[in-house]
Amino acid sequence: MAVTQTRLRHKGGIPPYGLLLLPAVGFMLLVYAYPFVSSVITSFVSPSGGLSLVNFQKTIDLYLKDIVFTLLVTTSNTVMILVAAIMFAVYLRMSDTAVSRLLSHIYKLGIFIPFVVVAQMMRSFLAPHGMLNVALAQLGLINIDRPLQLFNYAGLTFGFMWKLVPFAVLIVHGGFQMIDNSYLEAARSTGARLFHVVTRILVPMNKSSILVATVLVYAQIVSTFTLPYMLIGGKIPTTITVDIAHRVNYFRDFGVANALGVVSYVFVLVTAVYYLKNSMKQHQGKKVKEVVHA
Amino acid sequence: MNRPLTLILAMLVVAGTLFAGGSSESSDQTRLVYMTAGDTNMLALGQNVLGPQFTAEHPDISLMTIHTGPGNAGSQRIFEKLLAESESNKESWDVDVAMVHQIFMKWAMEKDLLMPFAKDLDTWQYVTSPFAKSSLGVDITGYAMPMFHSQTALAFNPEYVKNPPKTFEELEQWVKDHPGKFGYNGIKGGMSGVSFTVAWVYWKTGNYEKYAVTGPFEQSEVDSWEGAFKDLAEFNKNVTFTSGNVGTLDALNRGEIWMGPVWVDMFFTFMNEGKLDPQTRMILPAPGMPGQPMYFVIPRKARHPEAAKKFVEFVTSPDVQAREIVQRFNWYPGIDGSYLKDSIPQETFDKVYGDVTPEDLQKYGLAFPIADYFDAMLESYERWIH
Repeated sequence: MAVTQTRLRHKGGIPPYGLLLLPAVGFMLLVYAYPFVSSVITSFVSPSGGLSLVNFQKTIDLYLKDIVFTLLVTTSNTVMILVAAIMFAVYLRMSDTAVSRLLSHIYKLGIFIPFVVVAQMMRSFLAPHGMLNVALAQLGLINIDRPLQLFNYAGLTFGFMWKLVPFAVLIVHGGFQMIDNSYLEAARSTGARLFHVVTRILVPMNKSSILVATVLVYAQIVSTFTLPYMLIGGKIPTTITVDIAHRVNYFRDFGVANALGVVSYVFVLVTAVYYLKNSMKQHQGKKVKEVVHA
Repeated sequence: MNRPLTLILAMLVVAGTLFAGGSSESSDQTRLVYMTAGDTNMLALGQNVLGPQFTAEHPDISLMTIHTGPGNAGSQRIFEKLLAESESNKESWDVDVAMVHQIFMKWAMEKDLLMPFAKDLDTWQYVTSPFAKSSLGVDITGYAMPMFHSQTALAFNPEYVKNPPKTFEELEQWVKDHPGKFGYNGIKGGMSGVSFTVAWVYWKTGNYEKYAVTGPFEQSEVDSWEGAFKDLAEFNKNVTFTSGNVGTLDALNRGEIWMGPVWVDMFFTFMNEGKLDPQTRMILPAPGMPGQPMYFVIPRKARHPEAAKKFVEFVTSPDVQAREIVQRFNWYPGIDGSYLKDSIPQETFDKVYGDVTPEDLQKYGLAFPIADYFDAMLESYERWIH
């Protein structure tokens, strides 16, 4: 069988199943690869048309603080979301009560609510005289004349966690459920406490799905426009996505907008490369094991 | 021939006759394609108000409204559509008439995408606004017909603000005395904040005429703004930043801020819908704040230019301007307000022109700067204000 396939490939240049791949690959190239490449190229084209670095110069000149802010928001929120998600997923995995069963259904709601709705919700919930502050004032915890100011990093973090923790839990909890109870029981019977069960058994055995959740959460935060726009759009600093919209809407300046885009690609590429490397390593590890077994 | 095949053929024939009938019928009726930028209220205006009323008057023309989205981005989509049609060398273009923002006029005039039509209209005689002749420094006479005019002003809560500032000097002092009680949305959160920033530069430099009317663009002017923006940065320290145009109105309504720049039409709409404390008032401080019209334009190769002209004429007639533009949507009319007096109840006239009088508008209703200065102001804000 292997021999026939090799022969076919040699004869026609493209193997016959290459034709079957064509629609899918063509679609990917047209819809993902082409805009990506053209965006990177445009970022190096100056307003007068030549190749240059002016767009990046302007980006650094005007938006360095926003780039730093975006990186800070993204990394810190990813960490917080992952920690919260792992804790919640552990609870769902280890506990089997009516409450945990109910929670395991309810928590998924957030996943189906779009960012724009979350943003509108947060805009009135977190406002100086919004629901949260009024409730805290009623409880006597704050003075409503000096309310908590939440249209900033804190509010943004709250919004991202509200929306993305459930999403991360879905992935991480799925992984936890694949781990057989016998491991947990074995650990328990040799005296491991919950903390050790989590850090020595659950998390290490579930590394791949936690990694997937990290990459997806991180990429979503980098690319979200509505939440920062509606919460802290007019403030300084703000996120890269708001700046991109500003460059396009007010200046039709696709050069700087794309340069900002390239910065966000770099942000995401870092995690993507890490993820790919890791999954390659795992893949290779498996292969080595197979060879050893053979 | 087997039965399924016969059946399919029969269905095709029936469908063919039906569609053929349909198209022959619609050829009697002109379908006007109307593309509009702006908030969703612009879609509602076209679809539910102007379309049906226009068709009632002209049964042979129907209106199809297409909405492209709010702000300059909405106008940009219309521009891209027209540019694509122009570059494809099509003989007749899909869009018959469009509703656009000021910046669109600069883009479209540069690419020669528009038809000069406004002077052919019966209603052109009612147009007195300087905005109909020039848009951000570009001469547009004849290429655009203003449908309405929007103005920004300072809204304030009279419970806390007994003597609202009549000038920007007084405003600066008031904000110093009441830290955190003045709110606006910066320049990336919507046009009311942009308008306030532009007004600030006009006030600090005193060069409104050069920046908005006469020009020319000179880099030395831009270089002289550092002080003005440093002052604004200082001013910003005592300001509450709101989350957008709507955010400012919401914050006023909730009592978080006592004063802030708003669009007059949004102010009235919020009030009519019960989303704003009815006591809230407005003032247009000296030396003034910018406003902007939205324009009707007809693409250079529109399929139905004559029907499109009829439509624009209909909407800019004193009757429709009074009933729909002023009374229903709370905008200032695109044509001269004096032609509407008879068509509007005194009560409405007093409300719309109550806080901001026609004289205020005449004196303090400014234009946005010409495009190069406009870009420079927005970029200077980003450069100087950290």
